[in-house]
Amino acid sequence: MAQPRMEKTDQSLLDAHRQGDSAAFGELVRRYGDSVLGYLVRMSGSRERAEDLFQETFKRVHEKSHTFRGPQFKGWLFKIATRVAVDGVRKNKQMKTISLNQQTDCAGQDGSEIAAMVASDNSCNPSEQAVKAERTEQVRQAVGALPARQRATLVLAYYQQLSYREVAAVLCCSEGTVKTQMYRALKTLAQRLPEI
Amino acid sequence: MEHHLTERELIEYRFRLISDEQAEAAAEHLAGCDECRSRLEQLSRKFASLDLLREDVQVSQELISQVLEQAAKPAPAKVVPFIRRPWVGAIAAVLLVGFAVLIGSLTQEQLAKQEFASGPELQQTTSSDQLRPQMEADKGKEAMVVASKPSASSEEVKSLVEAEASSKGLMTAKEPAAVVQMQPAGDLAPAEVRTDMYAMAASKDDSRANESLRRGITAGVAGPAGGTGFQPVENMARMAMPQPPFAPASAIELVTLPRRESVQLTIYNSADLTLVRERRNLTLKKGWNWLQLMWANTLIDPTSLSLEPLEQKDKIDIQQLVFPARLRELGRWLIRSEISGQVPFEITYFTSGLSWRAFYMGTLSQDEKAMKLEGYVVVGNNSGEDYENAQTRLIVGQVHLLDQIRELAQRQYPYGSPVPTGRLGGAAGFGGARSPVITNSTYTQWWSGAGLRRTLDTESLEEAKEIRKEGLSEYFLYTIEGTETIPNEWGKRLLSFETEDIAVESLYKYDEERWSDQTIRFVKFANDKKHNLGLTPIPDGDVKIYGRADEQGRLSYVGGTSVKYIPVDEEVELNLGPARLVKVEPKLMDFKTESHVFDNNGNVAGWDEIRTYKIEMTNTAALPIEIEITRGFSTAYWTLQTNIPYEKYDVTHARFKQELEPASKRALEYTVRTYHGLREQAFTPEP
Repeated sequence: MAQPRMEKTDQSLLDAHRQGDSAAFGELVRRYGDSVLGYLVRMSGSRERAEDLFQETFKRVHEKSHTFRGPQFKGWLFKIATRVAVDGVRKNKQMKTISLNQQTDCAGQDGSEIAAMVASDNSCNPSEQAVKAERTEQVRQAVGALPARQRATLVLAYYQQLSYREVAAVLCCSEGTVKTQMYRALKTLAQRLPEI
Repeated sequence: MEHHLTERELIEYRFRLISDEQAEAAAEHLAGCDECRSRLEQLSRKFASLDLLREDVQVSQELISQVLEQAAKPAPAKVVPFIRRPWVGAIAAVLLVGFAVLIGSLTQEQLAKQEFASGPELQQTTSSDQLRPQMEADKGKEAMVVASKPSASSEEVKSLVEAEASSKGLMTAKEPAAVVQMQPAGDLAPAEVRTDMYAMAASKDDSRANESLRRGITAGVAGPAGGTGFQPVENMARMAMPQPPFAPASAIELVTLPRRESVQLTIYNSADLTLVRERRNLTLKKGWNWLQLMWANTLIDPTSLSLEPLEQKDKIDIQQLVFPARLRELGRWLIRSEISGQVPFEITYFTSGLSWRAFYMGTLSQDEKAMKLEGYVVVGNNSGEDYENAQTRLIVGQVHLLDQIRELAQRQYPYGSPVPTGRLGGAAGFGGARSPVITNSTYTQWWSGAGLRRTLDTESLEEAKEIRKEGLSEYFLYTIEGTETIPNEWGKRLLSFETEDIAVESLYKYDEERWSDQTIRFVKFANDKKHNLGLTPIPDGDVKIYGRADEQGRLSYVGGTSVKYIPVDEEVELNLGPARLVKVEPKLMDFKTESHVFDNNGNVAGWDEIRTYKIEMTNTAALPIEIEITRGFSTAYWTLQTNIPYEKYDVTHARFKQELEPASKRALEYTVRTYHGLREQAFTPEP
């Protein structure tokens, strides 16, 4: 495959996409795919749902690319992903789905379905694996039970490692608000997280 | 800070939610307060469990494909319900009224401008003797015929003219004679009389009506079939233009298009789109002419049809294109002509189903320092139409399409209202009554300056075709020499270019993060004059690379890939896949941690990790090679110690370049120190 010497900037890829270059859009999806999907998995608590949200996110990016005014594509992308995720969580809340695989108290406060995932770490023995999986599940539930705004703040700042200023830009609020949301999220988590 | 830190303060300190001054004060307190340190530690242990969710999430190729597929679909039309937005209805009503007023005012202006219908050029009366024999003779030649078909009897016409003229005091002795002379047998309508009526109505207060009658104008306007459709004189006075003849749905003496004299295809590979320009000689009669075009079982976009005379443009007026009710895949042009005889016309339209793609074959020399590159194009036709001796032009570049032509072509009648599509430089699509989608000025604009109008050459089919290349704004145009016959459902391969001795560099790359433990082989060259290329961009296509296996010129397959559009002067690296003869094996030789930093509780808050790697490179090929090894450190805080020169590729990666002799082995060693936790502050980037 042709490898251009210099990697294209997000802006140039988006410009190319606006002019109809589908390859440019594909490159943007590949460039940010892992990061956005990771974010959506943590926001939705389910890989399957995150994949739906992922599609919806990039669909919106495709449709709204003409509205991008810069400067940070990543921030704009996460802004869209956040809207999609929050909308998705709301819809899901209305649907009240509960997985048959989980205990009755597993449904988070926002009703989100959190499927258990057993971490496959070959270095641990089976009992350690089970403990780890249980803890992971507890963390997942605790994060999943946070209000959407707090969850978005936590995931963006902690897992996606965006600065508070960047998170503020994504969530369209002040840095102070982000810190308040972050504090509230952490305060709640301090009550619910297991100790390692 | 004298009091113990609250939980809030501890959380804010731990996650840097406070200002530097506050953090400093908190740190100071923590340094001297065991209790607070212990609580902070407890909180940190809790929050450490958040890292359990740091699983590596990767997007599957399938998901990416789904996203791209979804993006490729045209956006569904937005329906705005009027009920929900009543103001839209109000605006529409205001616009409608405004439009009606505008039309009304235009009508008044146009009534005074009936020069075409009543011009002096038309005063030579077209007699029925002139009309009918030629019509019949032309039928046999598949030529277009005049559809001047008066439908009322001559007596009716005469009486109407007399009545109108006498009511206004404009009667002269000539007009009835002219009208009567025009009437052929059958149910033909006295269209010329109606024309005069309108002319009279338009010039109610001046002498124009009288003048037009005196001239004996006989412009042939076909009347409604069956002889009905005559309107009272009072009503006619309100009409804006000479009424064009009505196109009956059936039983009309029309002839389909005569055979093509020549055809030109302009095929875009980025969209399912081809612009077809056909030249046909039509035989016109003076007056109104109907021309019928059918496109059954083809993928032609009916709204894109356009007809232009190539000669006598000032005497021929293409009035409208209609799609008669109940007749599918059929359109009729209404043409007003001041002359009789054969006139060359150009018909343009868009169709889908024609496509082209490029592919390339590269042959490496034995020393793998030079390559012969052959470029081909394959043109395929699934449009439902045979194109004989077509001049074929291929366009490289993205075309913005709002509608897929294939969908437009296959949609159900009626074809809808005019929708400006903005495609190809702003050409607008019109359905219904008005035909031109691409005006002359539009496509002249596309192709202007390129000298593209060429005499079609049908004699050079036997020779290898040259493909001429020209830049065209953001597109690039390849014109295949001479003409090609491309029957429906056939494909044709043509040589685009052939270049010998392109200097290439063989390069091997190793990057665990991209290709795992495989070494990937690349061939590098540039599309420029130095490499015997660079005359034109190279369109996207598949590339297959072969190597000369022996002196006899036998070839062996080296690898293949697809190449994206390569602009002039751009460098390209062809990924030929995993190399079999070159191996790179990194081994971790040593690992330790040091420089630990402790917090006030004695917990580790920072440390360095030191890893020593040995990378063994093996070249079993018979040629010297260059290897590029990229190493990632997963952090921006790293320093490297090695005797081998390296390049800092980006914030987290270093890159080594090594040359290996044929059938040789080498190793390189490096030690990387990464800084973690509070030790990150001790990191000093290398100059």
